[in-house]
Amino acid sequence: MNWLRVIAIASLLLLLVPIFVLLYYGLGPFRDAAGFGTQVIRSIELTLFSSALAVVADFILFTPLAYYLARGNDRISESLVDIPVSVPHPIIGVALLILDSPVTPTGKFLLGLQINFYNTILGLVTALVIMSAPIYVKSMEPYFESKDPSPEEFAMGMGASRLRTLYSVVLPNSRDGLTSASLISMSRALSEFGSISIIAFYVLQFPFYGVSPASVTIYEFFSGNMSGGLNAAVTASAAMILVAIPITLAGHMFRRRAGR
Amino acid sequence: MIEAKVSVQAGEFRLHAELQGSGTICLAGKNGTGKTTLLRAIAGFLPIAEGFVRIGGTDITKSSVEERDVVLVTPATYFPHLGVDSHVTWGAKLKGLRPEKDYVLRLKSELGIDYQGTVGDLSRGMQQRVALATALLSSPRAVLVDEAFLGLNDRETIISRYGKLARQASVDVIFSSQDEADGTLADHLYVLHDGLATPKQREANT
Repeated sequence: MNWLRVIAIASLLLLLVPIFVLLYYGLGPFRDAAGFGTQVIRSIELTLFSSALAVVADFILFTPLAYYLARGNDRISESLVDIPVSVPHPIIGVALLILDSPVTPTGKFLLGLQINFYNTILGLVTALVIMSAPIYVKSMEPYFESKDPSPEEFAMGMGASRLRTLYSVVLPNSRDGLTSASLISMSRALSEFGSISIIAFYVLQFPFYGVSPASVTIYEFFSGNMSGGLNAAVTASAAMILVAIPITLAGHMFRRRAGR
Repeated sequence: MIEAKVSVQAGEFRLHAELQGSGTICLAGKNGTGKTTLLRAIAGFLPIAEGFVRIGGTDITKSSVEERDVVLVTPATYFPHLGVDSHVTWGAKLKGLRPEKDYVLRLKSELGIDYQGTVGDLSRGMQQRVALATALLSSPRAVLVDEAFLGLNDRETIISRYGKLARQASVDVIFSSQDEADGTLADHLYVLHDGLATPKQREANT
């Protein structure tokens, strides 16, 4: 008997119990039409849309950081990357609210540029970027570290800067790593609740006018603010799980491929 | 003319080495004698504890890797996503150079590059030839070839041709080898012993 395997699988099942419970009750005994209704579908669409945008932003803004951390020796920056996900997530929502408040200098400046985070897609995506970027960076950093630096050194010897080397040499050969990190960080963005429930409880912009992100909609069902109650919350949760699981699994599949 | 007098501490390994010469320099020594360490120090990838590196009279000891204009070629230095032609002109284009088509064709022919596909799909030997051509076409101050001639089926011919092409382009070449006999293919031979002190120089091409 391989006891390590037994313990590992038992602990894994323990982790997955809430998922099984929601899938079982949400698709079975507690199934409620409101949980599959238009409102929920629109919420899931908004969540997928904003998470995808957040991942695009992660790629553009944070790939250089991941590469810098992988090839440099900057321990301080490495530690700082983890901070946004290590604080209670509502704090990030509050921070964005203050940053963009009309009573603060930064808020006056941003609002002067027509940059408004509160109940906008921009605010929602910004919060998701802050919450998913550390996951993206922490996925890409070991991937970059695992790559043989010889081609990069070759390029730099011919005069390419580190940034040029990243875009011309490293990234074209990092498709699996980028796909994996993007999907894993998108999974993280899909699951966010704390920060977005403050900065973007709902969105007041086309094409999602009045739509809340999926996690907020589930909370609204649960708290009784939306008709459907607990049954609808459980059903909507099951629907969201069914959407999120393939993305998570695909992310891990690409991670295995990237590791080869 | 390459002049290097370097002391390098790489982990437990300490290297003291001194070499100078122009044209093609063969750096011979068994595994673990410090050939790669010396080449990486000259290329700027390892810090030099003491000493200097000068090429063509210019002191590049403190220059960054990008500023040194010294290309290190190893068996793994190739860009797998590029086609052969894009690859060989990559460094030249980076520097804003426009190598003549005839010269590129001649260089490819001399080095036995007769494939047009993606470099990642080539055999290891062909990848090494492509990397050698790429380095030379970028017109650097020097090309440092770390074991990249190993495994080529016509190794001696390629070393001789590469040395000749480099000389014509006024590019100095240092290549490492485990075989002292390769010194006969170079203008200078330096032998490293057990990661030790000063390499011994002797006449080559005689």
